[in-house]
Parts: sequence; structure tokens; C-alpha cells
Amino acid sequence: MVSAALAARPQLDPIPALAPVPRRTEIALRNVSVLYPCGRGDSKTVLSGIDLEIAAGEFVVVLGETGCGKSTLLRLILGEDSPTAGSVQVDGKPVTRIDARCGYVPQKYSLFPDRTVMGNVMYGPENARSGILGRWRPSFWRYRRELRDEAGQYLGRMGLRPQDLTKYPHQLSGGMQQRVAIAQALLMRPPVLLMDEAFSALDPSTRSRLQEQIHSVWLESRPTILFVTHNTQEALLLGTRLILLGRHLDDRSQRSNILLDMENPLSRLPFARRAQSPELHRIQEQVKQIAFAASSMDGTEDPAEFANPESDSQ
Amino acid sequence: MKSAFHPSDLVSVQARPSRLWTQSMSWLLFIAGIALYAQFSIARHKENPEDRVVPSVHQLAAGVKSSILEPAEEDDPLDPGAGLYQRLRHSMLWKDTASSGRRFFVALALLVPAILLGLHMAVFPYAGALFLRFVLFFDKIVALSLLPILFIIFGIEEWSKIMLMVIGVAPTLILDTCNNARAVHREQIVKAFTLKSGSFDIAYRVVLRQILPQIINSVRLNLKPLALFLFAGEMIAATDGLAYRIAIMRRHMGMDIILPYLLWVALLLFAVDAFLRFANRRLHPWYQPL
Repeated sequence: MVSAALAARPQLDPIPALAPVPRRTEIALRNVSVLYPCGRGDSKTVLSGIDLEIAAGEFVVVLGETGCGKSTLLRLILGEDSPTAGSVQVDGKPVTRIDARCGYVPQKYSLFPDRTVMGNVMYGPENARSGILGRWRPSFWRYRRELRDEAGQYLGRMGLRPQDLTKYPHQLSGGMQQRVAIAQALLMRPPVLLMDEAFSALDPSTRSRLQEQIHSVWLESRPTILFVTHNTQEALLLGTRLILLGRHLDDRSQRSNILLDMENPLSRLPFARRAQSPELHRIQEQVKQIAFAASSMDGTEDPAEFANPESDSQ
Repeated sequence: MKSAFHPSDLVSVQARPSRLWTQSMSWLLFIAGIALYAQFSIARHKENPEDRVVPSVHQLAAGVKSSILEPAEEDDPLDPGAGLYQRLRHSMLWKDTASSGRRFFVALALLVPAILLGLHMAVFPYAGALFLRFVLFFDKIVALSLLPILFIIFGIEEWSKIMLMVIGVAPTLILDTCNNARAVHREQIVKAFTLKSGSFDIAYRVVLRQILPQIINSVRLNLKPLALFLFAGEMIAATDGLAYRIAIMRRHMGMDIILPYLLWVALLLFAVDAFLRFANRRLHPWYQPL
């Protein structure tokens, strides 16, 4: 059933593509498995034998139902978790701990509540520039003034007004907070930006605006983005490449693997036309079918995760 | 629109008392307490005009006056021509307040390392592994049972009383700080690392800054235990201090001094608490208590 579904993978009418340009591999996962102990000597395999290469400048969206290991995959790349087997590399170097190679935008708690918007955005570049002691030097204060201007411009482009810059996170709406969080991460100019269901707590119109903004930021500076979501439509609107994670049933231990790894046919269209594209709904349905076929094989009969219109609507 | 007060509102969860009602009701028990005391005192003084157990208003006023204008019995008497400032400066109340206050604030200062230990235990896993079990066990030791040991180690001078306060309150503060620091969302720490923070940056510039309002609240909650240990120490071995004076006056049935002292101690603690609450609000406008 899975193979039949995979055979019917989404395809668009051929569009003349540009000649492929060889690109540097930014993120590489080689035969990665993750097991979590679950008491009495048992362990649960979350991810099994994942092989994945992401080139610099790709906008990769990882899709999958809740609990399929999307966030685990992201945490491995971030360095927050270590693989039980296999290796993870970012920018050609193995990931052993969390560092500034990756920017990170989580779903919640993304801003420091004790700092203003400006304080949050300047936190990273200030750290990058100088340690605690170096902050007493006049050169640091000059740098700080320049940085404040740059951060202000950045936040302005993200749709924040000058009067918002002195506000604390609790005084901002959820959408504004995520805008600041994205600006906070991007101002560090990380080669990789990891976004963990960053828009899932937002209302549809705010989500839609932020999708457009993150896409335009990506077009401008082309960071490698790994965007985790369970929303198929969001994945199709944003990504240049889609990765669908799903579970298999194996010796009563559920493990996830890559069910689908494909270029997003819609990414060839301008962003504004993607939502109106007649192909959007068709591809969305096909992706759901693949996910459902795999989950039915697992004995997970309820396709609610993918069929739920609320979780999958804009 | 506000509706008129109805007696059933008193037991209604949905009642919305006006500001006037709230203010009036908050003072009601104070007024009732004073009235009850006055009535009880008058009744006793009718039976025995020399009664010292429930002093009259006049006796209390005389007690307050002697406390704030006259030196303690053990001190040299003042020159009869001494001015008001001299009298206040050498008064029994000032002497006792200064002694107790010094002990109290030294102990409070010595609790700062306890707070930092709690922070480190939460942020640095090895520090947590080393200290947590010990502090959890130490927290269960009744601090007053350590008093004889403290007297042996530190003598009966100041340090035994100060250390009793520190030992009595430190484990609670350590554990409270540790719990608060552990409750900081993991996303914040991960995010800080991706923003080029080092471990000490995380500890002091991310976690400590975020939990500082909770630490101040924790100190506020521990003011009374701190005063309790101070009083225990002073009542057992001291030559001055608010609790020492209360203990001395108990022997003489000096309720005219004990009651004003008792209210003075409550007022001082209330003032420290109010100051900390005010400072917390001013210093941390971002803090959103649950």
C-alpha cells in the first residue's frame, strides 16, 4: 500500500528548470538512529537509519504527524540531543553540543522575558562581539550604537514599529513575538536556521503574513532553513524540499524514517501564486495519502493527524 | 454597571466589591482587635487598677515613652539635660533595634552565596549532582537542634546567632532557587547557546535575571523564619536585641514594653517586606507572576 502511494508521488507538469549548480552540503545526517530509554531496560526507537543531506541555501520543510520524530531530528542538528548511532554534521563539522552554527526559533518561549524587544535582538550580536569584561570599553559602546541602528532596521523590515522596540515580550502579540524571535536569530547571520513549529501557535492571518516574511528573508539572504511543521499546506507554500517523516511498526517498537523526500514542485512558482495554485490541493492530498498509508501499515488507523482540517488549514 | 451590595454577595464567588468596601473591610479586623483589647483591659483594670497583664492605654504609652526616650536598665543613665536626639540615640528601643537589625542584615547578606549555590545546582549538572542530595538532607535537620553545636563552635557571641539564621533559612533558599532556575524553559537556554552565550552567560545573564523576582519573593517569604531564628538565638544568649528585651521583660511581667516591642518587630518586618515588594516591581517591570 505504501509503495503504491509512493509511486503516486506528487508531480507537476514539467517546468523548464535551470541547470543544476553543485552546492555545498550544509547539514548531513548519516545512518542516524535515536533510542530513548523507557524504563525497565526497554528503549523506544524514535528515528532509525536516517540518511539526509541538505545543501546550503535550501528551504527544507520536515513534515510528519505528532510524535514521528520531527523535533528529535531538529534537536539532533541543533546539538541538543545526540544520536544513539550515526553522525550529524553541520557546516562540515560534527555536532557535539549546541552552538551558534544554527539559529533557532522554537514554537514558544522564544524570547527572553526580562529583555525588551531591542534587548532581545541585540543579545546575540553583543555576545558575539565581546565577553562581559570587554563591554566596558568605549569601542563596545560605539559598536552597540551601530548595532542598535541595524537591529532597528531589521525589526522594521519584520513589521515592528519604533514604539514596539522598548516593549517587553509579554506586551506583544504572539505573531509579533515570533517576528522578533526570527529577527533575533537572523541578526546573528547563522548559516542554518532551525524553526520548530514556529508558526503553529499563531492565528491563520498572522501565520500567513509571517510565512510571506520568512520566505522573503530567505530569498534575500538564502540561509539554509529547516522548518518543522505538521501542516502540509504550510510545507508546500514555504519549502523548496519536503521531507515526510513517518513511523513503521517493527518488533512492537515504533520507529520513524523518511517516507518521502522530494523537491517541492510549487517552489518554482512565485510565492504569491502558490496559495492559489490548483496543484496545491492535489499535492497536499497526495502527501496526506502517503502519510496515511504508512500510518495504516503501523496499525494507526486514525488519519486524524493529517485529515484534521483545523490542524492543516491556514 | 455595579449593582448595590446584597448580603448574599459575602459568600458569592462572583461578587465584585467596590474599592470603598475593600478598603473598609481590610481595616475591620484591626479595629475589632483594638476594641476587644481595650474592652478587656478596661474590665481588668476595674478589678485591679495595678494590673500589668493587659496594660491600659496609659501604661502602654508610658512603656513606649520609656522605650524610645530612656536607656536600658543595664546602661548608664542619661544626663537629665540631654536633648531629644541624644535620648533617641541612646534609647533602649534604638539599641535593641540596631543590634537585632545588624544580625538580621548580616545573615541576609550571608544568604547570597546560598542563592548562587541554588542557581549553580540547577544550571550546572555536576554541581547539582554534588550538592542536591546533601542539601535535601540538610534541609530536614531542625536548625534549632544545631544551636548547642553553634554555641560550641562560634561561642555565645554574635556569630552563633547569625549562623543559626543562615543555617535555618539557607537550605530553603537554595532549594527554592534551584527549583525556580530549573523551571526556566529549556528553549531559552538552547536559544541563548545559539546566540553565542557561554555557560556562565546562561547562568547569570539568562537564568538568574529571569528568576531574580522569584528569588526576592522567596526571601520575602523567608523573612519570618529568619526573624524566628534570630529571636531564638537572642532569647537564649544575648545581652541586647529585641528578643532579648522581650525575654527580660517577661520575667518582670512588663507587658507595657513587650506589646509595643512585638508590634515594632511586626512593623519592621512589614517594612522590609514592603520595600522588597516595591523594589521587585520597580526593578522587574516585565515580571508576570502566575
